[in-house]
Amino acid sequence: MPSLSYLVARLLQIIPTFLLVMIFIFLLVRLLPGDPAIAMAEAKATDAQLEQIRHNLGLDQPLPVQFLVFVKNTLTGDLGRSIMLKAPVTEIILDRLPTTIFLALYSIVLAVFLAGPLAFLAASRVNSSVDVAIRGVFQVGLSMPVFYIGLLLLTVLAAQLRWFPVGGYGKTFLANLYHLILPALSVALYTSAIILRNLRASLIEVLDADYVQFARAKGLSPRIIMTRHVLRNAMVSTVTLLGLSIGNLMSGTLVTETVFAIPGVGRLMLEAIFARDYPLIQGLTLTFAVLVSVVFLLTDVVQSWLDPRLRQS
Amino acid sequence: MKRILPILLGATLGLLAATSAFAIERGGAMTFARYDGSTVIDPVYADRNPDLWMVNGLYETLLRNGPDGSIVPGLAEAHEVSADGKTITLTLRSGLKFSDGSELTGADVVFSLDRARNPDLGPWAGLLGAVDKVTADGNKITVSLKNPDPTIISILATFNTGIVPKAAFEKAAGATDQEKARAFFAAGPVTSGPFVMKSHVQGTSMTFVRNPHYWRQGEDGKPLPYLDQVEFVVIPDDATRILKLQAGEVDAAEFIPFARVGELSADPNLKMELFPSTRIVYAPINTRETKKDGSKNPLADIKVRQALNYATDKNVLIKLVTFDTGKPMTSLMSAATQLHYGPAPLYPYDPEKAKQLLSEAGLGSGFDVKFTTLAGSADDATLFTALQQMWAPLGVNLKVEQVDNPTRGEKNRSGDFDIHTYGWANDVNDPAQVTGWLGYYKQRQAVGTGWNNQEFNTLFEASNVEPDPAKRKDEYKRMQEIYAAEAPLLFLFETPFAVAVSKSIEGYVQTPLGANDFSEAWRAD
Repeated sequence: MPSLSYLVARLLQIIPTFLLVMIFIFLLVRLLPGDPAIAMAEAKATDAQLEQIRHNLGLDQPLPVQFLVFVKNTLTGDLGRSIMLKAPVTEIILDRLPTTIFLALYSIVLAVFLAGPLAFLAASRVNSSVDVAIRGVFQVGLSMPVFYIGLLLLTVLAAQLRWFPVGGYGKTFLANLYHLILPALSVALYTSAIILRNLRASLIEVLDADYVQFARAKGLSPRIIMTRHVLRNAMVSTVTLLGLSIGNLMSGTLVTETVFAIPGVGRLMLEAIFARDYPLIQGLTLTFAVLVSVVFLLTDVVQSWLDPRLRQS
Repeated sequence: MKRILPILLGATLGLLAATSAFAIERGGAMTFARYDGSTVIDPVYADRNPDLWMVNGLYETLLRNGPDGSIVPGLAEAHEVSADGKTITLTLRSGLKFSDGSELTGADVVFSLDRARNPDLGPWAGLLGAVDKVTADGNKITVSLKNPDPTIISILATFNTGIVPKAAFEKAAGATDQEKARAFFAAGPVTSGPFVMKSHVQGTSMTFVRNPHYWRQGEDGKPLPYLDQVEFVVIPDDATRILKLQAGEVDAAEFIPFARVGELSADPNLKMELFPSTRIVYAPINTRETKKDGSKNPLADIKVRQALNYATDKNVLIKLVTFDTGKPMTSLMSAATQLHYGPAPLYPYDPEKAKQLLSEAGLGSGFDVKFTTLAGSADDATLFTALQQMWAPLGVNLKVEQVDNPTRGEKNRSGDFDIHTYGWANDVNDPAQVTGWLGYYKQRQAVGTGWNNQEFNTLFEASNVEPDPAKRKDEYKRMQEIYAAEAPLLFLFETPFAVAVSKSIEGYVQTPLGANDFSEAWRAD
């Protein structure tokens, strides 16, 4: 396992990241044309009413003042009130975040279970018809937009065959496993295509490596060769890829949550941007930054456990 | 005889079936799929359509909008306007109760109207700007005005004057009125309308159940509503919302894209409802002498604006965008608006006349126009390509600029555009709202066009304090004539509200103002 000082150093690196994210997001949302007052008044307010709304929201203050208020509030754990939903941002995010995390984890698990065995199958019979077929199917998955896969699954499996509900969200864990299988699957198809391609390539490379040949020559059982030598080495780059795909996964949920009517933070982000809901956009971006940082940290930890060479640097 | 008996029997059974098909059945629930969820349904704070189109389900107003657009009694069984137009006296029905069984009194009315007209609270206070004082004496309510206001009767039938229980609202947690409103709503508010909110999960679902104390009677002589429960689910994606309906998981889906109307009309399990609406789709034209960048603006010339209107084949646009569900505009306001005047569709397609007008304006050799569209909007993309082709023979080179909704709003407000599309639906059953928005310079620079017509402005100001309905009607006729001739807009079309409803549901209505009315809906199976 990585040393404690390594972990602390990695955690400390997160602080400047957050500061940069805060500055960037604060400026970026304000650089967008239009403001919350315009978006919120559904274009029906008079100019005088707009000024009143801006004043009520503190948007008539100079930018540096607004920024200081934002930083001060954030440090005390207060992300402000959502303009669109008229409720505290922290409360809204805590309410919606578990859904998205559940969906993301669900789709990762599905992706790994889909891609893992098939990658082995393909790598063990390189260029056979099986290999070509597997790669072909997943290439199609990779080139289809997530929302389109989602709609196809909905039309066939939900609306026509009625195996699954058309969108929505359950109330218990088991109900969610059932409700979210189609959205998770549509995100997973994309992710699994990436994993499959990468894992297959590394497996082929590792299976051909000198140390595997040597292990075979030593007469080790295929099972031990597989778990101790092949899998562990082939997984290093796949784990990196999985970690990096968190970004993809987040943008995937953004679209999927809308198509499948799931009340998660992805759809919320989309709505917040269209409403120019500054506090909510800022709060969500910080949340995403925390999520991505944590996932990258975990990826590093897993990697250095898999590959001892990484621990020295 | 042997042959007659079965026929008689059959006829009797048939008659029985026919009568039961018309008899209203009580009880049961329906599920309604919405495009967006409610946040806080409060008469005063509702500022988004998904909120304000639900207010009347929970809060009853003193007066109501009748099915034909006239004003009918609500919580007040009678109302009277004084001769000088400055005092409105209303009589509350006796025995009115809130959903918790407590009495609905004059104090609740005064409290609700005072909240509604407080400019420090919600965005709609201006509608009650003429009100000086509201008082109650027993079941007599007196609304005193600073000046005559012909819109006030319609405002007393508008969602923002819904009656809220004073005692229960004031008991809600929170220091400010806004905090109280949120807490009151979150706890499942005490209501005066046909329904009570049983549960609400932000962005996902909401349940309304029958208010047992609602005053209005159904056709069977018992109190409305007929349904025990209405469940709402939020499905933002159009395609998914329709799939959900086709799979039988919901009983109705709102905002059906017009492209899908034909297909859903053919579905034997569904009724495709196209409710008459006050919704218009139009395109403001920048009429300022110079553009934002300082260059000369050809659209400042009235002849150029008229030419573009003549060069636009509205019937083709109606076919392309609304799939023949829309109709051409005959005035600045929809035909379903009170005091509408428009004997014929504005600017029938006439490319020759357009050409002539342009050469009179000295622009026979053509010019560039920028069309600002909403990114991702299929309707806007269609409109743009169609207009580009229609106008090209005149030498008008139409260029596109894609933006998102708030950006478009910002461009409109700062006058940084040539032409862009906009939609509108009335919130008030009176023409003043739409007329002020589209034409009165001092309110919003005539929907951002910069059009500033003295005669129109003076007429509008006069009509807002005109106690004589006949004179007001004349003023509105004249304003609509001026507006049509001056063409600060590209007049496009009116569209209905498209809601697909299961065959087993009867009586659901989306009103011309957009409000969802479940009070007389019932389940036939």
